[in-house]
Amino acid sequence: MKRDWTARYAVVVALLVLCTGAALFAPGFLTLGNLTTILLHVSVNAILALGMTFVIVTGGIDLSVGSLIGLAGVLAAGTLTASGTLAAVGVGGATLLAVLVGTGAGAAVGAANGALTAYGRIAPFVVTLATMTIARGAARLVTGGVPIGFPPTGDPAFAQKSAALDALHAIGGGRIPVPGLERGFPVPALIMLALVAAGAFVLTRTRYGRYVYAIGGNEEAARLSGVPVQRVKLGAYAISGGCAGLAAILLVGQLRSAGPDAGLLYELNAIAAAVIGGASLLGGVGTAWGALVGALLIGVLNNGLDLLGVQSFWQEIAKGAIILLAVTFDVWTKRGHHHA
Amino acid sequence: MQTDRKRGAETQAPDADYGVPPGPGVHCRAVSLLTLSAVTKRYPGVTALNAVDLTVEAGAVHAVVGENGAGKSTLLKIVAGAERPDAGEIRWEGAPVTLASPREALRRGITVIYQELALVPALGADANIFLGMERARGGVLAADAMREAAAQALAELGLVIDPTRPVAQLSVAQRQLVELARALVRDARLVALDEPTATLTAHEVAHLAAQIARLTAKGIAVIFVSHRLDEVRRLASRITVLRDGRRVWTGRTSEVDEAALIRHMVGRDVAYRRHPAGRAPDPTPLFDVHGLTRAPAFHDVSFSLRRGEIVGVAGLVGAGRTEIARALAGIEPWTTGNVTLAGEPYRPRSPRDAIARGLAYLPEDRQRDGLVLRFTVRENITLPVLRRFAARGRIRRAAETVAARAAATAVDLRPSPPDVERPAVDLSGGNQQKVVMAKWLLTDARIVMFDEPTRGVDVGAKVELHRLIRALADEGKAVLLISSELPELLALADRVLVVRAGRIVGELAGEAFTPEAVMALAVEAG
Repeated sequence: MKRDWTARYAVVVALLVLCTGAALFAPGFLTLGNLTTILLHVSVNAILALGMTFVIVTGGIDLSVGSLIGLAGVLAAGTLTASGTLAAVGVGGATLLAVLVGTGAGAAVGAANGALTAYGRIAPFVVTLATMTIARGAARLVTGGVPIGFPPTGDPAFAQKSAALDALHAIGGGRIPVPGLERGFPVPALIMLALVAAGAFVLTRTRYGRYVYAIGGNEEAARLSGVPVQRVKLGAYAISGGCAGLAAILLVGQLRSAGPDAGLLYELNAIAAAVIGGASLLGGVGTAWGALVGALLIGVLNNGLDLLGVQSFWQEIAKGAIILLAVTFDVWTKRGHHHA
Repeated sequence: MQTDRKRGAETQAPDADYGVPPGPGVHCRAVSLLTLSAVTKRYPGVTALNAVDLTVEAGAVHAVVGENGAGKSTLLKIVAGAERPDAGEIRWEGAPVTLASPREALRRGITVIYQELALVPALGADANIFLGMERARGGVLAADAMREAAAQALAELGLVIDPTRPVAQLSVAQRQLVELARALVRDARLVALDEPTATLTAHEVAHLAAQIARLTAKGIAVIFVSHRLDEVRRLASRITVLRDGRRVWTGRTSEVDEAALIRHMVGRDVAYRRHPAGRAPDPTPLFDVHGLTRAPAFHDVSFSLRRGEIVGVAGLVGAGRTEIARALAGIEPWTTGNVTLAGEPYRPRSPRDAIARGLAYLPEDRQRDGLVLRFTVRENITLPVLRRFAARGRIRRAAETVAARAAATAVDLRPSPPDVERPAVDLSGGNQQKVVMAKWLLTDARIVMFDEPTRGVDVGAKVELHRLIRALADEGKAVLLISSELPELLALADRVLVVRAGRIVGELAGEAFTPEAVMALAVEAG
């Protein structure tokens, strides 16, 4: 758990360097509007990376979160725009229900991942690869392959449905007025910050968090110490799935529509953010704030290159290079300590 | 004894003897095989080796002894080419060399066999023996030839097994012989063994000693690193003592007795002394094990533990001692048998269960099973009892720190007062074991089962651990002590159970409790 100062803050320093570079060379980067936009764009990936960090710290991996965005999104949108729900519980109730269904579906699939991994002793890579495929298929099945979204004009419940979508948009695309901020502060960014703070608290201050690190550090020693290893692991995957579900809600709200193909390959971005933020795929190492910083680093990079008018292909190459740099640096700082 | 083996570089002829009998006046007669002069190795914050000299002669066993952290491992790494010295000179047959990589050391004929054996578990003995030097024709492995050569090398070491058997299925002693066979096949000229007997039973040690003698008879030089001074004195003709990275003594084995060696090692007088009980054991048992069975690991195991008593468990490695303890600790199941704890039926479904019932098991491999090395001392100590410091899931750090400090102080963690925020990975073997003890002390267990508690621990820490173990019994805990070191059992145990092939074949106490009696029971029907 203890990490060296350099290793710990290197990513933060890298982020600041990147921001400084962007501020100097990319016109329009250093405006409050642009910075809040970055936070908004980063929020989905940061929330996924936060959940991913729990799993990675236990020594696992969760490939299913991208597909879960698709599945949880269409289930939430389906719930929200179903005439039955709207008639029964009204717009407010349907919105709440949609949030619960989306998050719950994500957490449930996550828990299933965890159960198969912890109790079934199947490698998490395989389990989540399978659920990734299943969830994507299920999302397409539910929707018939077409997005659920704005109702057609002839829809008898048109007013209610669009009102419900607007309500969810208040969460996914809403802005809270802040003096000095022309367009206000994006709600998803606020949710992201709150979640990361909560995640950091759980990981560093609670028994559960200590167990997560213990399992990743030495699963056998943890088990022999009476740590309920299987339950803790199941929890980590459920948290990751739940984060994916919540991220799906934000995405649906933002777009006012849920596509079955939403979130394609998002799991790789989440892993990248967690790893850039210092999580080790060997387990036992990683922080919630690190996940946020990792996601921000990717976000700032993309934004800066966008502003400079660099092709998106180059952005991908740059992102890959950053991942390699982060991991190389990590290995390099650790090697300095390793002696008999 | 001294023979110089000179070979053509590519010669592979089996059993060819290219030995050149040293004639009178041949200058290389006086040249040592390996000479280290004033070798220094620094790591950040610590000088692991400080101007150390070492001379190894062909055909002789040179022991290197010292407490943990004395620099033995670093010395071996330099010999193996895994580390390069910061200063000093290495000579091989009189000529200065740089051992820049393990590959280069191997090429010169240096094989280092580490405590954590460097074998690929899933591969057969033959594949392991030829790993990195496979015989092949046009890229296709000459599997038959290698299998035969491997079988031959193993047989030469007294191990007759199917050479294709995965190494994972072999015992530790057998794996060690596989490593030795690898050295033979490579035509090694110097073999260094790091704590080779740490995990072996007396019987296996005797076999290994015979194989080492065989190596030296072939003119191979042996560096033997060990904690067990009786073995060192039996096997080695010369001994070098390291302390805190310095060479403090080198000489002939005949010139030094064990007490003097220990004095050199620790710089003070210590010996294994008998720790007498501070109290009489309870008349009635606290823990009653009856007919415990899980074929094929153990059969019909019955014994009882009383508060205030230390019961030793002797036996060869692989006899089933650890398996019995692990079953009782809830780590693995048992099939039949009745166990009662304080009169209540006891059948733990998990280690968590066993801990809740007041049973602590300190595993033999503390790095693998006992500690989260990345965790601090505090985090390790409180892991089993975290619930105590958690109010609705949130850890109360202040209370946790107080408890961890108290437990660390109780086991005399060094330096004193103990720094509980140090990562466990930075501690010496003895201190790590103390952290494991502190951790289990905090669980307030009624029954404490130790599995090789002082393995790989230096002499000074060993004596302290002995004192702590006796103190536990005196506090009224029932103690089970599994140990392969008979002097340890003699120093601590009130009675000893001898396990052979998964059965308890005898119980010894009082006058009858002698090393000879234990060995007789452990090895053959006695």
